[in-house]
Amino acid sequence: MTISTGNDIVALKAINIDRTRQPNFYSKIITDNEKSLYDEALFAVLPLEHFVWLAWSVKESVYKFLKRHQHDLIFSPSKIIVAHVTPPAKRSQAQREGIGFDGESAYKVEATFVGHKFHARTILSPDYIFSVVDNHSGFSKVHWGIKKIGSSEPQDQSAAVRELVLHKFRDLFPEDNFKIEKSLTGLPVLFKNGTETAIPVSFAHHDHYVAYSFVWA
Amino acid sequence: MTREEILTELKSVFAPYTSNKEMLESINDQTDLIGDLKINSANLVDIIIDAEAKYNIEIDYDSADKMINVGSCIDVISEKLNHR
Repeated sequence: MTISTGNDIVALKAINIDRTRQPNFYSKIITDNEKSLYDEALFAVLPLEHFVWLAWSVKESVYKFLKRHQHDLIFSPSKIIVAHVTPPAKRSQAQREGIGFDGESAYKVEATFVGHKFHARTILSPDYIFSVVDNHSGFSKVHWGIKKIGSSEPQDQSAAVRELVLHKFRDLFPEDNFKIEKSLTGLPVLFKNGTETAIPVSFAHHDHYVAYSFVWA
Repeated sequence: MTREEILTELKSVFAPYTSNKEMLESINDQTDLIGDLKINSANLVDIIIDAEAKYNIEIDYDSADKMINVGSCIDVISEKLNHR
């Protein structure tokens, strides 16, 4: 089984709602078949613009998951297909970190890419859409976190998300030293006491929000 | 249109989505939209839509997938202009 992780966050204040609702825009993100998933049941709980960006966040997460092992992969929203979207039984709370997902407060999404199936969990808050992807449905080893920061500048986002995940690792392993470096393909790599680990880490940022996911038993 | 003319015009297409104005002024074919201009991936669709409107072209899925650096953006726009 491939060990990886991928996540994405969309800051809702940074999206253009009117533009997202235009067919020439959303058709670049979702196909006609995916648009057909937006039925009456989803319409009742999810504005179209949120559905579109939910799909985007899942696709971007799948891409990040795969990119760790397929370095030459190009992000192609039309080739990562959202197949099922199941709304949560209750509204998401303002939870900003966790291990796995409460079965009742996250959207359950299935997506495929060239015959491979992926599972996503998506939290939709009033401020952001956050998705994490795994290749099995348990998510019991998936750690994740979200933070609102004071700047939307790329260098500040980068520093903030690194500090956020390093803080988590210091909590988990207080005796050890951690650092994050970027691989040649631009992916974050975690080093523990100077040695590269096999723990997959994924970063995301948009506007004033940063997020991470990693897989650790 | 020449590649140089398209490159110059692309600066105004990218401008709303990057805060790296210094890099924007010196873009070349190799400039990566995400890695160099620090454009958030969520804005890549905006750039495609803006390019479609600016040049009155339609950019299909496969062409959009190629638009990851300035040179590939110019390639796609040039091809679409030539087949208009």
